[in-house]
Amino acid sequence: MATEVLMPKQGNTVESCTIIEWKVAVGDMISIGTIVCEAETDKSTIEVESTAEGSVLALLYQEGDDVPVMTPILAVGEKGESYTPPKKEGELEQPQATERQNDSSTDKNSNLVTHTQSPTAEVGASPRAKVAAKQLDINLSLLRGSGAKGLIVEKDVLAHSQSAPILTPVAKEKAQSGNYTIPQTGSGMGQRVLSGDLTLKQEQKESTTTSVTGIRKVIAQRMFESLSTTAQFTLNSFADARMLLSLRKRFKESDEHLNLRTITINDLILYVVSRSLKDFPALNAHYYGETIERFSSVHLGSAVDTPKGLLVPVIKSSESKSLKQISEEFKDLANQAIEGKSLPDDLTGSTFTVTNLGSLGIESFTPVLNIPEVAILGVGAIAPKAVQVENEIEFIPHIALSLTINHQAVDGAPAARFLQHLSHMIAQVDLLLAI
Amino acid sequence: MKEFDLIIIGSGPGGYIAAQRAGQLGKEVLLIEKGELGGVCTNEGCIPTKSLLNSAKLYKNALESESKGLSVKEASYNLPQAMEAKNETINTLRSGIEFLMRSAKVTVVKGFATCVDSHTVQVDEQLYKAPYIILATGSSPILPPIEGIELDHVLTSSEILSLETLPETLTIIGGGVIGLEFASYFSTVGVNVTLIEMEKEIAPMMDHEIAPLLRRTMKKVNFHLGSTVTKIDQKQVYFTNAKKEESTIASEMVLVSVGRKANTAGLEQLSLTQDGAFIHVNEHLQTSIPHIYAIGDINGKSLLAHSASRMADVVISNLFGKVKQQMRYEAIPWAIYTLSEASGCGLTENQALALGRSVKTASIQMRSNGRFLAELGKREVGLCKVVVDEHTGALLGVHLIGPYSSEIIFGAATMIEAELRVEDIKEIVFPHPSVSEVIKDALFALDPHL
Repeated sequence: MATEVLMPKQGNTVESCTIIEWKVAVGDMISIGTIVCEAETDKSTIEVESTAEGSVLALLYQEGDDVPVMTPILAVGEKGESYTPPKKEGELEQPQATERQNDSSTDKNSNLVTHTQSPTAEVGASPRAKVAAKQLDINLSLLRGSGAKGLIVEKDVLAHSQSAPILTPVAKEKAQSGNYTIPQTGSGMGQRVLSGDLTLKQEQKESTTTSVTGIRKVIAQRMFESLSTTAQFTLNSFADARMLLSLRKRFKESDEHLNLRTITINDLILYVVSRSLKDFPALNAHYYGETIERFSSVHLGSAVDTPKGLLVPVIKSSESKSLKQISEEFKDLANQAIEGKSLPDDLTGSTFTVTNLGSLGIESFTPVLNIPEVAILGVGAIAPKAVQVENEIEFIPHIALSLTINHQAVDGAPAARFLQHLSHMIAQVDLLLAI
Repeated sequence: MKEFDLIIIGSGPGGYIAAQRAGQLGKEVLLIEKGELGGVCTNEGCIPTKSLLNSAKLYKNALESESKGLSVKEASYNLPQAMEAKNETINTLRSGIEFLMRSAKVTVVKGFATCVDSHTVQVDEQLYKAPYIILATGSSPILPPIEGIELDHVLTSSEILSLETLPETLTIIGGGVIGLEFASYFSTVGVNVTLIEMEKEIAPMMDHEIAPLLRRTMKKVNFHLGSTVTKIDQKQVYFTNAKKEESTIASEMVLVSVGRKANTAGLEQLSLTQDGAFIHVNEHLQTSIPHIYAIGDINGKSLLAHSASRMADVVISNLFGKVKQQMRYEAIPWAIYTLSEASGCGLTENQALALGRSVKTASIQMRSNGRFLAELGKREVGLCKVVVDEHTGALLGVHLIGPYSSEIIFGAATMIEAELRVEDIKEIVFPHPSVSEVIKDALFALDPHL
């Protein structure tokens, strides 16, 4: 007496399973627990075990068929026993007991989309393939199934979604740099990706987070306080830089034991500022809201770019120091700041600040006040400027100057006069050195 | 009211191809034609001119082939017979299109179509409705405002094709493809031809090395470049030449071929956005009304029959096919069937430079080619020029003058369309001996490395 093996029930919601592959053939001897076929639900792939033992008399469905659960899928009995399969619902004729073909290549390797005879499947696709197609928004009718009789199985859908786009030779070479995003389909022949279809990747910068501490925190607070509590106002001007350049050249070429070779343009500017401020006491001052404190000495701050951030070492009583002294002192202070060895006193007490970005090629910028100071001088790059000399145009090197003042403490006109004076002094810095 | 899946207005190489493709996909298609099936291409353009030019070529060969061992006594050209052969060709092609329409189950209605609204078209008293409309109404010759342009002996390409006797003298105004082909034809069959072109050079789409060569092959044509026609009377054409001097030329007949304009009559109700004199379309060939498409000459993008057919494929693929396509214009070949043919595809050297591309070029004479030499000898004009992107090595343009140019150029279109590089093309085998080998030779001349 033949026994039927049923398509097992898979939970409460699965109504049918698709037979992906038979693992046994008619005539095979099987026992309870032998894997008879692989089947697919819309959620998983299962292996169906035999619930009977004996010789396989008939396979009741073909690979690719969608079989309702608890339906007989194969018959087991005595070897040679005859078996009449029950009539399947919706079918007029008895299905043929399927023998496993020795050469299954005609079915398995078929690339044609053929609809299965399964009573429940409308499209030749397994339930999982349909779910995947829905998720990936893929039109199943465009696919070629690799399953039995061209059944579209899940892996066909996944392969389609992952199938590499076809690139033209030029596009391929361009894409090799890895800097381009390759679209799934392109605008070329047969949706080939043309070089023009490649788009530059947005640079993916890795970000890092650090806490704002130490010097950065001090700078952050002071800069914010500066801009939020004062009325800053910047004036821009130029100074004839020919004398600066010629002096700098002479220092460089001077006798070594004069120790003048390292004097820089910035040192000369600091020197001119130290000498000019005594005539403009309003700019050598601190503003405290209720009071303004003017200083007779020029304690000159000069901004230094250090690995930890901006520091402003101070040359005390600069008005009484020679150019050479200013130069040497500033060099020492700057080195200490860069090495992180500044003493607290070296970084406090300035009455006026100079900040120089000229060596970085900056044409002009807006310096931010080093409060409570009321003025800061920004120094830009030296560049030729067209100047009318008699009836001709000459290109004369000029240095850019930007003076920011606190308009709460100083007015525009006196600030402009100071800048004008500074400009004159820079142009004739050689004479100033004699004073 | 009759309803269809698609209405197509105009049955030229845009319209009838669209109708055939959609019909073959099982769609209910209505094709409306005010004249004869086949449009300008079949009836008064590409095809009839090819028939006449071939008859002229045979005549020329009969006269000039003595050095090749052929002697034809008293060769003469019989225009009525050439016209009859041309008409037979047209009729055969027209019936071919009729057959194609029948087998694709396309409904053909003869008459003038007026768009009543964006879904409804009227022909005579009958209204037709469809979710989609394709405008493929083509273009017509422009008649510039020149004094005397209305005279009977001033013709356009449409009328000149039904000529019964050859004039003694013909002046052609405009040195584009149409003007040049007629100049080649009429000068070959014994008409005294003068061609007046406003620009400094003929054929604006041609590479600057090719255009002068083409002029050189048309020895019997009297060219006046940089010249402007000011007046036409019964006997003469008046023009200002390149030196700003007033001049005249005796002309029994005048052909005007200065350009073409879109046929937009009947479309007024749609108020479609225009690009100058043409209907604006996007890359999918949709007009400003998205379910109305405009293909072929009417959109002014590329006034070539094969462009119209490709546009038809793009639209039908997007409407009823599986793949969404966009119209690409980078690799559309052109050909001119003068008696030394010329063709081109892709960018000319100057166009590439204007686009800021760095290019390498190579030009080789066709007399180095076996078949060319065997058939035409070493004195004939023939050149192949290739334009290649200096950085990627991609082939950007191929420009040819010489025999079979029109047949060879599709290969260049394939290479450019596929963005092949010089190194890729070097792997392609070309038949030998064939003139097509010049492309490969030019690329090896450009870069001899393997």
